[in-house]
Amino acid sequence: MSSYLKGNFKTEKEVRPPETKKEADDLESRFERAALKRLGGSIAFVAKKKVKWTLDDKG
Amino acid sequence: MAKVLFINPVVREEDVPRHVPYGIALLAAIAIEKGHLVQVFDQNAWRTGEEVLRQVLAADRWDMVGLGGITTTYGSVKRIVRVAREVCPESAIVLGGGILTSLPYEMMTWLPEVDVGVVGEAFVTFPEMLSMIDEGRRDWHTVLGTISRGEGGRLIMAGQRPLLHDLDSLPFPAWDLFPLEEVYFPNSEVLYSEEGMLASRRLDINASYGCSLICRFCYHLGIAGDMRYETDAEGRTQVHFDEPGTYTRHIRYHSPEYVVRLARHAHDRYGVNFIGFLDENLMTMDQSSGRTWLKEICRLWHEYGLAPKYEYDDKGEVKGWTGVHWSGTSHATLCTKEILKVMREAGCSHLVYGYESFAPHVMKRIGKGATPKTNIRSFFWTLEAGIRPVPNQIIGFPNEDFDSIRQNVKAWEELGIVVKPHFATPYPGSEWYAVYRDSILEQYGGDLEAFVFELGDASKISATISHNFNAVELVGLRDMMLNFDYRHIDEYEKIWRRNHRIPDGQPSTLYRDADDTAPAAAAE
Repeated sequence: MSSYLKGNFKTEKEVRPPETKKEADDLESRFERAALKRLGGSIAFVAKKKVKWTLDDKG
Repeated sequence: MAKVLFINPVVREEDVPRHVPYGIALLAAIAIEKGHLVQVFDQNAWRTGEEVLRQVLAADRWDMVGLGGITTTYGSVKRIVRVAREVCPESAIVLGGGILTSLPYEMMTWLPEVDVGVVGEAFVTFPEMLSMIDEGRRDWHTVLGTISRGEGGRLIMAGQRPLLHDLDSLPFPAWDLFPLEEVYFPNSEVLYSEEGMLASRRLDINASYGCSLICRFCYHLGIAGDMRYETDAEGRTQVHFDEPGTYTRHIRYHSPEYVVRLARHAHDRYGVNFIGFLDENLMTMDQSSGRTWLKEICRLWHEYGLAPKYEYDDKGEVKGWTGVHWSGTSHATLCTKEILKVMREAGCSHLVYGYESFAPHVMKRIGKGATPKTNIRSFFWTLEAGIRPVPNQIIGFPNEDFDSIRQNVKAWEELGIVVKPHFATPYPGSEWYAVYRDSILEQYGGDLEAFVFELGDASKISATISHNFNAVELVGLRDMMLNFDYRHIDEYEKIWRRNHRIPDGQPSTLYRDADDTAPAAAAE
């Protein structure tokens, strides 16, 4: 991973990339991104992270 | 020596990062040249979350945290300065660029974490502030071109900073402080021309500042001589830009030698094969120079070995090339057949034209100094020269009506133009903003900050300024225009006329303005 900070001196502390896997790389995100690009007509999808599971009337 | 952290805020979140922030790259180079300690965190490039931002801010003891950008970065800037104040309580937080310049008092009020704002051009103001830090001083109000906080949080606007005259005294941008290999070069593609699409290592250059024209929708934010300091009735200094009847301009451009040396530097050091000129309007500079500037840049492009050389296959089709293609902005009335040909021979692949509209009555009100006739003339000249014209269009002008909508659709059909127009948007700093401020406030329930939050690149609708159509109508009409759907446009006109009690035979407009003689260009 390249340094997030670029400059003409060395900083006191290093900046480390976040531990968690980048969300944008997982299959779900890749699919939703690809579908979004072709949205329209019969191309529609559920954005899973935006689903409000706490809705009272979900049955 | 002062220790500075530059942060580039996120802009156009819906797209990948494509452009190294030119202003920050120049300011970083100036600071380094003056011997200061500089780090850059390009949050727009990395698109990381708050966790990384906190680490960045805690990575050292910063004397100054500097941010800047255009107005549409507002949401990102607001998030960054909140965290910066918390993590770096002792650092001076400085905000500059169009976002601050367009609304200095508002920004300093909405962003209480910001200590100092840089109003207008920062090339001289910024290093003066760093020198002040070296001297252990914080009396920012003594530095021209700033807005800062005095006793009790009172905002103090210092005097106006004059523009830098010798642009060639600027160092080259500090491109190496940005993630070129990691982010920018992989996003080099620009879908405006075949050569732009195939660009694999692109950087941008700003060869000039400002534009002599006075398009009502445009904004220059103090770098074009368009900014005026005036004292209001309460004795407070207010910053003004273009307003009806009051226009000032001072355009500036780098020497052709500086421009081409910088391009050659980008080619030699970074292997660049495409340069995007960020200039507002290359042609206005060329005209101002007596038609020598672009010709000389093109001549030097050849002399410095940058002009593309093509390889052909057996069928005579281009299969590859060496050298550096480039692109920029043109103007329908100011371009000439001759210069377009010269530009193509030097590697120009596409030129962005703000054609805006093909309706004569709309063009007459824009102040651009162009007409549908000059739009069409330049369109063919550019194509004939072998350059792709990029025909930008806008709908929702103050006097947009059904006639103008049909005239545009007809022109698109005849000229083969495929376009999804921008919506006319009153960006802060533009004349439209000055004229329609009350209407904007009304549309946002009196909350100007909500409007600024929502501002994007005008591909989505925000505040409308059309006298005839509301936001819902404009979105619907744009969709019909894209589909050349004359039938639904005609049908809706009947409904619209009924709603507004305008009988057939009368112009389909509510727009009333006796002044149709607005000048097209401001005097220097």
